[in-house]
Amino acid sequence: MRFILYPMLLGIVILLQSTVLGNIAIVGVKPDLVMLIVVLSSFVAGARAGAFLGFIGGIVEDLFLGNYIGLNALVKMTAGYLAGAAGKRLYRENTVIATFVAFFTSLAGFMVNYLLLFYLDIAIAPVQALFKVALPAAIYTALLTPFIFQRIFRSMQMRSRDL
Amino acid sequence: MRWATAKKLFLLAVLIAVTLTAMRCTVPERMGPATPGIKFQDVIAPVQNGLTWLGKQGRYIISLPVSMVGAAARCQELEQEIERLESERIKFNEYLMENRRLAALLEHKKIMADNYNLLTASVIGRDPGNWFATITLNHGSGDGVKENMSVLTPDGLVGRVVAVTPSTCEVLLITDPRSGVGSLVQDTRAPGIVEGVAGAAGIVRMIHIPNNARVEAGQAVVTSGMGSLFPKGIPVGRINSVQNEPTGLFLSAEISPLADLNSLEEVMIVTFVHPEVATQQAGG
Repeated sequence: MRFILYPMLLGIVILLQSTVLGNIAIVGVKPDLVMLIVVLSSFVAGARAGAFLGFIGGIVEDLFLGNYIGLNALVKMTAGYLAGAAGKRLYRENTVIATFVAFFTSLAGFMVNYLLLFYLDIAIAPVQALFKVALPAAIYTALLTPFIFQRIFRSMQMRSRDL
Repeated sequence: MRWATAKKLFLLAVLIAVTLTAMRCTVPERMGPATPGIKFQDVIAPVQNGLTWLGKQGRYIISLPVSMVGAAARCQELEQEIERLESERIKFNEYLMENRRLAALLEHKKIMADNYNLLTASVIGRDPGNWFATITLNHGSGDGVKENMSVLTPDGLVGRVVAVTPSTCEVLLITDPRSGVGSLVQDTRAPGIVEGVAGAAGIVRMIHIPNNARVEAGQAVVTSGMGSLFPKGIPVGRINSVQNEPTGLFLSAEISPLADLNSLEEVMIVTFVHPEVATQQAGG
């Protein structure tokens, strides 16, 4: 059941992101909610599960957008893996630590996205990519961590107990 | 007639006569503003005020127990009414703002009617990420929208249609890194290509401007129309700063788009360019 619920939840989040989230954009930068859900879930679930969750989240986003299918899958998979690996080494119940992990892994994901754009022949100046997109988007995304992390943490813990 | 009766009748007649005289003497037109009545009113006004206040308080005190019956229900009703009115006020504000935006679009449409056929469309979706900049509009091939049609606002160029479904279309904004627009610096007619930087960056760059062209901050940039998908003369943006390109052969400029691309709600699609305009553009 949860294999259907997770993509469905992400579908709703993507729908929100493409409609109402534009209203909370700050100087044009929107938080990446899919990235946030992926990295926080992965932080609790571990590296391998994180990579899987990231790939699923990214592919749902790609299918929704209908172009460059695989771009977001690879980006979110990388971020999910890194967040999962960080979760093995850090104290996972602390929201502040989760916020920092969300920031660094999102930033890493956005930089992977930037490199993949080169592969797709879409050139963006590195300074603009880092300071106008990746860094502000990572900060904005990470700042939303306190609002959802504890919920994700409890939900993931309950699932692991059920298993 | 007895003496007493005659005396009473006389006094009555005197009283009537005095009263009638007093009535004649106190006609307002004859008395002017300072009539005794008005002076009297001035004197008794505070007393009247006080008595009226006392009367109201008395009525309030007497009717309070009666009015308390069902007060809670009425209070709840009023609260609901306030909420409903507040919600309506917000809705009316929204309509007002929409009305202003649509009026501006209509005005622009009238001005442009000689040159282009314009179709007004609403934005129903945006690219969820920060790298690309696309929007989805509520008109598609069923409304005559085709790929590569230009999209504008009264402020300036928005982008071009890149994908069409029967009821929607996707527009590539000029800030998208995949976008390129043949443009001119309005004052000096220096040509160049305006390309997007990144969706969230909110700026565009004009590249390949000839090295000897006079290009300064503050100058306006418009579409060139030459070899381009966009009609000629549509405002694109204003130059913020000018730099030398790394090759040294050209200049490049950072431009702020004139259209507010982060908060687009209604736009216009150029569905048809009148033949005379198209011929003029082909001739440069």
